[in-house]
Amino acid sequence: MSINNNTWELAEAFIAGSLSQEEVIKLNTRLAGDVEFANEFNEATNLVSAMAGSGKQKRFRTMLRDIQENQTITSTPTKTKRIALPAHFWRTAAVAAGVAILTSTITMWSINYALKKNESKYNTISREVGAIKKVQAQQQAQQNKLIEIINTKAKPAVPTSDVKYTGTGFALTNDGYFVTAYHVISDGDSVYIQNHDGDYYKAFLVNFDADADVAILKVEKKNFHFGKGEVPYTFAGNKSPLGAGIFTLGYPKDEVVYSEGYISAKNGYQGNQQQYTLELPAGHGQSGSPVIDSKGNILGLLTAVGGQNEANTYAVSAKALLELLHTIPNANTFHLPRTNKLAGMNREQQIEKMEAYTFSVKVYKK
Amino acid sequence: MSSPTNTEQQLLEALAAGGRTATEQIYQQNYHILNSWLIKNGGTSADAADIFQEAMVVLFGKAQDEGFRLTCSIGTYLFAVSKHLWYKKLQQQYKSPVFLQEDTGEDEREGGIAYEDDINVHNEREAHYEQLNNALDQIGEPCRSLLKAYYHNDKNMQEIAADFGYTNPENAKNQKYKCLTRLRKLFYGVQAK
Repeated sequence: MSINNNTWELAEAFIAGSLSQEEVIKLNTRLAGDVEFANEFNEATNLVSAMAGSGKQKRFRTMLRDIQENQTITSTPTKTKRIALPAHFWRTAAVAAGVAILTSTITMWSINYALKKNESKYNTISREVGAIKKVQAQQQAQQNKLIEIINTKAKPAVPTSDVKYTGTGFALTNDGYFVTAYHVISDGDSVYIQNHDGDYYKAFLVNFDADADVAILKVEKKNFHFGKGEVPYTFAGNKSPLGAGIFTLGYPKDEVVYSEGYISAKNGYQGNQQQYTLELPAGHGQSGSPVIDSKGNILGLLTAVGGQNEANTYAVSAKALLELLHTIPNANTFHLPRTNKLAGMNREQQIEKMEAYTFSVKVYKK
Repeated sequence: MSSPTNTEQQLLEALAAGGRTATEQIYQQNYHILNSWLIKNGGTSADAADIFQEAMVVLFGKAQDEGFRLTCSIGTYLFAVSKHLWYKKLQQQYKSPVFLQEDTGEDEREGGIAYEDDINVHNEREAHYEQLNNALDQIGEPCRSLLKAYYHNDKNMQEIAADFGYTNPENAKNQKYKCLTRLRKLFYGVQAK
């Protein structure tokens, strides 16, 4: 049965909303009484609106591609265009600029922190707040809000509710340096560790290598120690052979979990030479967990799962970690453990010994 | 489209209408964040452009509904949808690793389901449009060109009459209805079987 032109016209008018109230009532009566017409009308409206929708979307996609192409052109330095801000945006822009300055200062500071004394942090921040006060004295309300945000950021209180990401970390030195996977902490505002006693300690970023996915951090607290003695394990400078048995301790939940496996390929994801491929069950929250061989050498840290059916686990080799260690400014003050206390122990003893030096890493973001 | 679009809702309405200024504004405010995130997460700039444009189309589709209100900012929405699209792409490729980090943000988890739904609706719509385009490709000339001119290229009946050699817009319109009738047979005929 062919739909006649009137039905198409009616369908188009119905979609466009150009039918009068009287016509709509007439249409509804007809739809209720004539099943065949109702069916035709239904198909006609569906088809017309789908055609219109798909056309509109097609034009939108074309426009997006065009915007993207223009963007590539305008982002080259020769063609930068200055756009004058409408007057009513100035206030917002001023606050935004203030936040931007402050944020970058905090970031700069946290990267360079290892060189400075503990007290300098609060000085730096309060000075910034003062500067902003002067500039924006007339914008009392907004400025108060800003300082509120800054204060909450600076306060090392223990947050409880807004954990954004968790991972696992392990100690490099007993006095507070530790390592985790960079992606665990890259997206956060602040990082805390929670040790096996359940205590929280705030940490700051010392250095990182985003490509290798390694980050070195330090616990902020003065005179902090992970455990009673030096870190019990040593770090393998060379890659370990295929088939070597390994184990790991991590925090996929609030309590520490042990799992074991072996090195299944000498290189990692897509032949990445900084990585190992492991046959080792691992889950969310175990990023950054140490990979340890039977003699108590750290071979690397867990970074990702993937491959066919997510069967593979990848670990960054300790070599990449050691390379990153050498690039930090005070590398010579760094004393990595030289004696391995795990070598002669059985597995239960090794785990017990490791527990104080392995912990959950909690990343917070407002 | 030259009037200033201040609120997010106004921006969305202008986006839904296909307004260039609003679209450009949303694009420029949000693209770079995604681009740098994606590069950190194993993608390239080309991937970023693809993913972001797809997310923009998802938002565009959502915004077509007049009653639509975003429960978060446009930026948050686009970023979250882009992330989902990217993870999906990685999963489909199967060879790429998926990071182990645990996402304990409750909001994100609840919102995550909503984004999933939006993406699923978007995918269904895409499949529907594809079927429609397949039917359109089988319909033959001049119907294919005529319907494309009207629906895809947004030409009016006057222009179409001139381009296709009809004596007046009314004749062109009648031809369009004939073509739609043919398209309906192809489209619903295929679907029914």
